[in-house]
Amino acid sequence: MASQAADVRTRAGWLCGVGAVHEEGWTAPDVRRRLQLVLAGIWLLDALLQFQAFMFSKDFSQLLGATAGGNPAFIADPINWSAKIIADHPAGTNAIFAFIQLAIGLGIAWRPTVKLALGASILWALGVWWFGEGLGGVLNGAGGPVNGAPGAVIIYALLAVLLWPGVADRAAPFVAGRFTGANVARALWLVLWGSLAYMALLPATRAPKALGGMVSGMASGQPGWLASLDNHLGAFGNSHGPAVAVVLAVVLALVAVSVYLPHPAARTGIVLAIVTAAFIWAAEGLGGILTRGGTDPNSGVLLALLALTFWPLGRAALSSTGQPDAVAAARLESPEGA
Amino acid sequence: MGGPSWLGWIFAGLMIVVAAYCLTRLAASWRQHRPTDHRVDGIHVLMGVAMAGMLVPRLRVFWVGGWEVVFAISTAWFAWLAIREFRGQRTVGGRPGHHLQHMLACGAMLYMFLAAATVAKAAVGGSGMSGMAAGAAHFPTLALVLAFALFGYVVWNADRLSSLAPVAALAARAVPAPVLAGAGTGGGASFAAADGEDAPSTPEPQGPAGQRVPLSPRLAVCCEIAMGVTMGYMLILML
Repeated sequence: MASQAADVRTRAGWLCGVGAVHEEGWTAPDVRRRLQLVLAGIWLLDALLQFQAFMFSKDFSQLLGATAGGNPAFIADPINWSAKIIADHPAGTNAIFAFIQLAIGLGIAWRPTVKLALGASILWALGVWWFGEGLGGVLNGAGGPVNGAPGAVIIYALLAVLLWPGVADRAAPFVAGRFTGANVARALWLVLWGSLAYMALLPATRAPKALGGMVSGMASGQPGWLASLDNHLGAFGNSHGPAVAVVLAVVLALVAVSVYLPHPAARTGIVLAIVTAAFIWAAEGLGGILTRGGTDPNSGVLLALLALTFWPLGRAALSSTGQPDAVAAARLESPEGA
Repeated sequence: MGGPSWLGWIFAGLMIVVAAYCLTRLAASWRQHRPTDHRVDGIHVLMGVAMAGMLVPRLRVFWVGGWEVVFAISTAWFAWLAIREFRGQRTVGGRPGHHLQHMLACGAMLYMFLAAATVAKAAVGGSGMSGMAAGAAHFPTLALVLAFALFGYVVWNADRLSSLAPVAALAARAVPAPVLAGAGTGGGASFAAADGEDAPSTPEPQGPAGQRVPLSPRLAVCCEIAMGVTMGYMLILML
């Protein structure tokens, strides 16, 4: 009895400090749970950015209305309609948006509501992708890898699907494949990174000075180190714009196919994806967060998180998915399961 | 601060509720000898009052410069506790990183007060700015890093929340102990001393293994989450 109590106190450690002597049924977060918590943290950041002063003004609705430009009427009209409503009631609507995002972030972090919150995040993200981001510039040709295409918010939805805590996990060599299965997850990865590669070759990015101008434009209002970085990247982009766009497209294409490669090459591809995401985030000026004008952290940080969900797991981690070791190992070793 | 005033009032109200609740925890712990983390509850009282005053200037209760001293000392204190923790000299009720979390929160408070003071001086100096709303902190990157770290602790705390037994469940499992003494200091579970001179005359509910039923652990963690979110909000406004 005494040893049990001692064990409880050791295990409950800090909880003794807040008065709890029992931590019941708590299991340390596995890899997927940790990634869910990172996603929750990004939702929290997004929510609190939504609480910034300018978001309660008409500037926010103008920002949303601007995304309608160049889109087909059936996309643009609802954007203009919603932007008008927000312009008429900027404080109330924005407060609702912010609290919804806060609830999503905290809901993902709290285990009993993780599915509810992830489900809500998918619906919310799809709505914002349309009404708030104009489908990320995918249809109007304005989107590019370094200006947030195909829409940061759609990556939230994708992450929610890939990190969904299913009842029975499938054997997969990476976390993203546990719910959907490895093949579906790889296909989603291919579509996302492949579309980024394609968009890097569109005139919005490949035209002379387009890329450089895009990146230089992010420097305004940034702290010195980031402004300097963006100015240097922008200057390089201005002088070698089309070539940089082609190189970027090739890198993005390599990343897109890397998840189909054997284990060591796949891992290299994921590292390349993380580095590329970091480059994109820097080129995006961290989403303008530090300028007091950022509405969200933009796509770079989410692409990096997405890449982590595809990080090849060791066999020990694979068997912790709930699959019997033998089944998991057999599937890992088979060509279609790897 | 930079946000709408009604929003400032909402967050300030939340902080006052948290501060008042933590104060009642301290009082209840003292009167009923029930375990709680006095250091954390105490710092939450101070932080709640300080943040309410930052969010709504009308609620300021301390002299200019006073909070900087308070949070500089508390940052150093929690840093010392964290160092002891990492050296393996576990303090009572210490989880690895537990004190680090409070050191970070105190450091964030210190940063916010120093940044606010800098901006206020600039305003007096004729820059035309007023208060924090008008100016940016000198180190926005540091503010963002602090906000990221606080969000990390918020989601980590929220993740553990559901595993904490509610007080009702702990009390239901309670078994009366014939003799008990000296509970409720330092936050750790206390065990009865058969010859304790200060033993209460009537047995009080005991938790498993003879501990006193602690003050609500869930609400304590909820306070940490509320503090983290509000502090994150303030740091974002100060970017």
